[in-house]
Amino acid sequence: MNDFLPLIPAATLVVGAIVLMLSEVFLASANRGYMVIVATLTSVVAAVAAFWNAFEPARSVLQGYAVLDPFSSFMTCMVCVGTALSGLVASSFLKHRNAERGEFYALVLFAAAGMSLLALSNEFITIFINLEVLSVATYSLTAYLRRGGRPAEAGFKYFILGAFSASLLLYGAALLYGATGVTKLDELERALPLAAATQPALVYVGFGLVLAGFAFKVAAVPFHMWTPDVYEGAPTPVTALMSAGVKSAAFVSLVRVFLAMKGALPPEVPYLLFAALALVTMVAGNLLAMPQRNVKRMLAYSSIAHAGYLLLGVAALFAPAGASAKAGVLAVTPLLGGTAVAAGDVYKGLLFYLLGYTVTTVGAFGCVAAIERREDETRTNTWDLERFAGLAQRQPGWAVAMAAFMLSLAGVPPTAGFIGKLFVFSAAVDAGLIGLAVAGVLASVAGTYYYLRVVVYMFMRPSPDEATAPFRHWTMDVALVTSAVAVVALGLLPGPVAQWLSRAGMMFGHF
Amino acid sequence: MSIEQVLFYVFAVAIVASASAVVFLRNPVGSAMSLVACFFFLAGVYVLLWAHTIAALQVLVYAGAIMVLFLFVIMLLSLTDTGPLVQLTPSRAAGALAAVAVFSALIVALKKLPDVAPGWTADPSQVARFGTIQYLGEVLYTKWLFPFEAVSLLLLVAIVGAVVVAKPRI
Repeated sequence: MNDFLPLIPAATLVVGAIVLMLSEVFLASANRGYMVIVATLTSVVAAVAAFWNAFEPARSVLQGYAVLDPFSSFMTCMVCVGTALSGLVASSFLKHRNAERGEFYALVLFAAAGMSLLALSNEFITIFINLEVLSVATYSLTAYLRRGGRPAEAGFKYFILGAFSASLLLYGAALLYGATGVTKLDELERALPLAAATQPALVYVGFGLVLAGFAFKVAAVPFHMWTPDVYEGAPTPVTALMSAGVKSAAFVSLVRVFLAMKGALPPEVPYLLFAALALVTMVAGNLLAMPQRNVKRMLAYSSIAHAGYLLLGVAALFAPAGASAKAGVLAVTPLLGGTAVAAGDVYKGLLFYLLGYTVTTVGAFGCVAAIERREDETRTNTWDLERFAGLAQRQPGWAVAMAAFMLSLAGVPPTAGFIGKLFVFSAAVDAGLIGLAVAGVLASVAGTYYYLRVVVYMFMRPSPDEATAPFRHWTMDVALVTSAVAVVALGLLPGPVAQWLSRAGMMFGHF
Repeated sequence: MSIEQVLFYVFAVAIVASASAVVFLRNPVGSAMSLVACFFFLAGVYVLLWAHTIAALQVLVYAGAIMVLFLFVIMLLSLTDTGPLVQLTPSRAAGALAAVAVFSALIVALKKLPDVAPGWTADPSQVARFGTIQYLGEVLYTKWLFPFEAVSLLLLVAIVGAVVVAKPRI
């Protein structure tokens, strides 16, 4: 029975999804108000179960195919929070478009179940299957509303590129299997050093292909090309779910896979790869976001930049002890003699950053969804900055919430985004990545420009004359208030949450 | 060269040729038929690997059921016989270069392989058991139960997703 503990959150989500799917068939009523409540309750129950699991000792379960560790349980908890909030945003969004159906919520919950299962998978085939569960659900959600040309294009692009990247991951895993004869990550960790000595080319190519597959999923530069188009074309609540959930789940799996492979390679190799990816992603994400006048597209590029900050944390995890890597800004410089990498601080930083990013990004996309009107579907300037002009006079509550989300994304205190950045950057400095941390801080300062521009438009520009009243529904207000309160509360009182997240033994097998 | 090696090269060349035909033929029905051929030759490779069950399933499910659906879709869409010719743009050229680079890396990686694969056993009793339905079933429902159940979730999600995407308009 203990073996099934980690599956409880995912099982709850799947049961909720099936209930919603069947209710669409058997309750032929036009009143679908109960659906969002069922979906939210399911996510909350799953979040509580995952939170409960997070205090179990880390161990390997289900014959080594999965692990129960606080890292994956906390991640599942965050995904469920993100799912509940995106579900609430979606309810208002879909009601306005007369498109609320059970299968939408079912797919959202299936996607969350896939994310939860991906976070705890500890074997390559299981990782691939669960990655596909969450991907297939998000592909179809992207193409859920097909009004105008953009959603169809986005769904197709996401499907083709997602399938391509998943096949890269699978091919890399197959090559590693060819070199070692095992697919379980803990066995791989033991078998890989010998294989790397006898079959270095096979191991390196496998490593590279697996890295490319994950880099596609977390939208790291140079594998980010799909992100702006897909994020813009997908229905806005789905974009919120994608940027919060898919990215977090993929990050957990990425950390798990590469920690298992770490021992087989010279320590500079994974470190330099992740450091270079982090640097390029932070800089390019922020530079590309700057000229965007389209707020939804700007948030898409900003999610690329945030993947870069998270990769900085991952690079800190792989920083070689002692100053063995020297490559300009990527150099590792121990502050006080040889620094032991404090993995616990990195896990705390990554998890807190992901938690803050989840509530912030869902809220920000929620605000975008809130002022989007049904009539806009045929227009081209739906998400233009002009639409936010004078929002403070028209909808003061939404404008204040959006300002909080923008400040949090920019990393301004007292918000969750600030504390998350503080944890990640200080973990990076502790690991000796001073140059990279400075680059990250500079990139986020540059990012402040485009986040604050939205605030300036909301508070300091007059309303355009043709501004129409937005559609209001209680679910949207609940989602925005909850995420805004969470963003500020995590920024003011990070203590208790940070304490949970700094538990020892976060990652099974790695401390 | 043993007979297995000869057969492997026959199948391998045929797989590469038919897979290229899928991409390069301009008639969609021709592409689909080349894909059927590719699946058959792939089944041959599976047999050489002692994976009889997988080979049979490959022919029944892929070459049979799935390709029939492919052909139905092509006929329903009533595509013209010839697709547009692909123009060479700078981004396509860059893509082609990247593909060539990845392939060269793979060739380097695969050039020097060990004589005996890790985990390989020549024990005849195990080899004879290896690809059978009985062995596959035993392994699938005992050792690989968790991934197997995950696949059932994946299929459910795929069905729901396909229905959602195929709906004319919500």
